[in-house]
Amino acid sequence: MPRRKRRASRTRSTATTASRGSVEVSEADVSFRSMTPSQFFYEYREVAGFGSPSRALYQTVRELVENALDATDVHGILPDIYVAIERLPENPNYYRVTVEDNGIGIDPKHVPYAFGQVLYSSKYRLRQARGRFGLGAKMAILYGQIKTGRPVEVYTSPLRSRKVYFFKIMIDIEKNQPIVLARGEFPNPSRWHGTRVSVVIEGDWPRARHRVYMYMQRTAIAAPYANITFIDPDGNITVYSRKIRKLPPKPKEVKPHPHGVDIELLKQLIKKSGASTLFEFLIEAFQGVGKKTAKSFLEFAGLEENLDPHKLSDKQLEHLARKLREFPKFRSPSADALSPFGPDIIEAGLRAILKPEFVVAVTRRPRAYEGHPFIVEVGIAYGGEIPVSNEPMLLRYANKIPLLYDEKADVAWKVVDPNNFDWKSYLVNFPAPIAVLTHIASTKVPYKGVGKESVADVPEIEQELRNALREAVRRLRDYLLKKLREEEARKRIATFMKYTPEVAKSLATILGPMGVKEEEVREMLLVAMKRRLGLSEDEFSKLVEGLEVSIEE
Amino acid sequence: MVAEYIDAADREARRRALSVFRERFKEIYKQIKMGENPFLMLPKRTLSNTIYDEKRKLLLLGPEKLKRSFFDLHESKKFMQTLLMARIIYEALERDEYPTIRDLYYRGKHTILYRDPSTGRRYEENTWDEQRESDAVIRDIEVFTGLLREEMLILSKEKGKVVGNMRIRSGNDIIDLSRMGHGAYAIEPTPDLIEFIDVDAEFVLVVEKDAVFQQLHRIGFWRKHKAILITSAGQPDRATRRFLRRLNEELKLPVYILTDADPYGWYIYSVFRIGSITLSYESERLATPEARFIGVSMTDIFGDKKTGKKPYLTEQERRNYIIKAKDADIKRAYELMNYRWFQTEKWKREIEIFLDKKSKLEIEALTSKGLRFLADKYLPEKIETGDWIS
Ligand SMILES: Nc1ncnc2c1ncn2[C@@H]1O[C@H](COP(=O)(O)OP(=O)(O)OP(=O)(O)O)[C@@H](O)[C@H]1O
Ligand SMILES: [Mg+2]
Repeated sequence: MPRRKRRASRTRSTATTASRGSVEVSEADVSFRSMTPSQFFYEYREVAGFGSPSRALYQTVRELVENALDATDVHGILPDIYVAIERLPENPNYYRVTVEDNGIGIDPKHVPYAFGQVLYSSKYRLRQARGRFGLGAKMAILYGQIKTGRPVEVYTSPLRSRKVYFFKIMIDIEKNQPIVLARGEFPNPSRWHGTRVSVVIEGDWPRARHRVYMYMQRTAIAAPYANITFIDPDGNITVYSRKIRKLPPKPKEVKPHPHGVDIELLKQLIKKSGASTLFEFLIEAFQGVGKKTAKSFLEFAGLEENLDPHKLSDKQLEHLARKLREFPKFRSPSADALSPFGPDIIEAGLRAILKPEFVVAVTRRPRAYEGHPFIVEVGIAYGGEIPVSNEPMLLRYANKIPLLYDEKADVAWKVVDPNNFDWKSYLVNFPAPIAVLTHIASTKVPYKGVGKESVADVPEIEQELRNALREAVRRLRDYLLKKLREEEARKRIATFMKYTPEVAKSLATILGPMGVKEEEVREMLLVAMKRRLGLSEDEFSKLVEGLEVSIEE
Repeated sequence: MVAEYIDAADREARRRALSVFRERFKEIYKQIKMGENPFLMLPKRTLSNTIYDEKRKLLLLGPEKLKRSFFDLHESKKFMQTLLMARIIYEALERDEYPTIRDLYYRGKHTILYRDPSTGRRYEENTWDEQRESDAVIRDIEVFTGLLREEMLILSKEKGKVVGNMRIRSGNDIIDLSRMGHGAYAIEPTPDLIEFIDVDAEFVLVVEKDAVFQQLHRIGFWRKHKAILITSAGQPDRATRRFLRRLNEELKLPVYILTDADPYGWYIYSVFRIGSITLSYESERLATPEARFIGVSMTDIFGDKKTGKKPYLTEQERRNYIIKAKDADIKRAYELMNYRWFQTEKWKREIEIFLDKKSKLEIEALTSKGLRFLADKYLPEKIETGDWIS
């Protein structure tokens, strides 16, 4: 794409003409320029989460860890991830952030672009991944470069590669091009695969500390199938070891769904397509569209099936796009592109990190909004080491990424908020020790802003979240009810057992002349008690195990 | 205790009580043997379950029953307490003992130790903590066995006293109630074991206040007026009530009650006559439905324009002796108004005057006016003219 390159001009238009009372726009008053993406993000780095040294430190960890997870679990590899933040001796505000994974690695020919060109990504595809924009790693690198002048260092080895490749890269911000400062190759006899990325940035650990730890913990909850080691600048080591060997299902790439189409996307799809008729084009470009569906759609839209898609007028394109969105009989969007955790993983994660007394997780069936498939998952952890609080502890995830900021603005909060949800009827009375995990997996998560921090209240998603929560909390209620009953039974037994010796002794005393013995009455009382409580021998002995009663006279 | 010193009446009472206990508690044993939830069926001892028997003029227990089951979380402890108390009483009966209710409280009070398996914590719990609890189960055993505590040889403090021209047998001794000197015979806790030998009297006067009793005794009131003189020294105990009942029932002596002129005094009269609300199960044997309230009545103090009755006190004396009623007295008066047996014309008038004047008076006011006035004018005149309330 040809690009007009120009130095960023700082001149501003001045209102020199205003005093004359007429509006006259001269050449000099308005100046145009274009920016490369790297220039844009250099100027507006706070949009991407690099507004302050503390936020930047947190964001750097996050971007690198998410890339590491994308390189592993998405490809069926159980992740081993190592994260270290070191304070550099020469400047206490400089930190080296290193993240290493055992993922698929990167083909050396892509490495300079993956780390040296903003908006370069392998994830611009219709399938669920943590990364999306082709921006994350570069923002960290760019930030480090402008604050500390240090390049990124990358070691990587693709699967089955005989070599480990090494790069030192900076970004030519003006050109949005990588500058490779150094490169090297090492033999790889052990067939190690994965990537190790190191950046040096200006940071503020004391302020970032809380968020970073929270992020690591939330990440560990959602990835119990990973080994994660974290070393902080003070040398503290935290190890989250693997709790389960199961991975979430691999997401598959899918074609777009017709309900999610707009004119622009339609144009792009047509441009890529070699189809010569509208009929063929529909079948080729969209998911879930076969001959029958294509035919009945064209009838519905009132379009000729032999029209050449490449020759459609703007008016026809607009009509086609609109009808595609309106046609009610398309099969609902495929969920193949999605990768939910599944209940086992959620439960394992919650159990390992929060150490609750009860966990339950629910993965709902796929649904769609505006042509985008999504799956909602909810996990609940209750009791144990979870602190008692006036509101549920909410752990939000979108496409497996923990969301930490703007909780109260999120649709998930709207759903779990005790002011909106009748927790009481599920036997949860606040203050209560309860955590709720929500996960929205989608090919398009409707974030509220560019910050990827809170999810907008799309009605379909809100509805699903509520359904999932109800489903999960019903199981919690069953558990609590059972516990209450057991407690009740235990209390009863304790009471009855406590008083049995006195009763037996009394009857034996009064009826002694008739040959009634204390031991006999006691035995008979136990039988009657079991019968009264409707307990089997096993249940009964479980409940009375360890119960001791004695009388001091 | 050596058996030969124990009189026959006691021994017989014990034998009977023991056999009743065995009979009644055998039922509980049978329930347990059948694998059932053992229970005690008890009449409810609540105000709502007391019935005023219009014909017999008694406060009786109603038909409402309470099923106290052992395997019921809220009743279990009471069930245990009831059986524990039964055992202690049973043992005392067997050993020829005479426990007081305080003794029973101490004998049954011990600690149950238990360890909760779910928490691993150890707890201590007393079979009962306060005497209020053990007293309550004694009452339950009375209704369950149909035996009054006196019949179980449980003693209580002697409170009531009696003098008069009368001889009785108590234990192995014959006692002459006219030869008590300045003292008096303390009515024993088991008045059913008393035998009346002979009596020369025309009526019984019960005085609420011990001091007034002594004054009347010293000036020979009972001798002069052929009376049996009794004091309950405040709220009457069961022995005094039972003794009075027997005098009335067996010797056919009319009974007059003299109390302070206030709702508290009225209630004392009511307990003698009708029975007490908490112990209504014993009324049948303890109450004296024929008892008459001789005074001091409101009309004695203020006279009654409606009937033309003249007051016993002058304007000046009223000013000196009358005490202003307290809020508690007023409240009590309103309560009494609800009781059926206070809804007669004369009682309504009494309460009406009281609420109107908000005044009360102690019997001592009459002795201040003159002991002779009380003994030789007020009392004989009121008995003579039938100026009493029932
Ligand atoms: N640890 C890694 N292992 C394998 N490939 C990686 C790794 N880190 C980055 N990459 C590659 O580099 C590309 C760019 O990463 P970057 O973080 O800049 O963007 P992204 O992950 O695609 O999207 P986002 O901006 O949402 O993070 C990725 O798409 C991926 O192909
Ligand atoms: Mg990324």
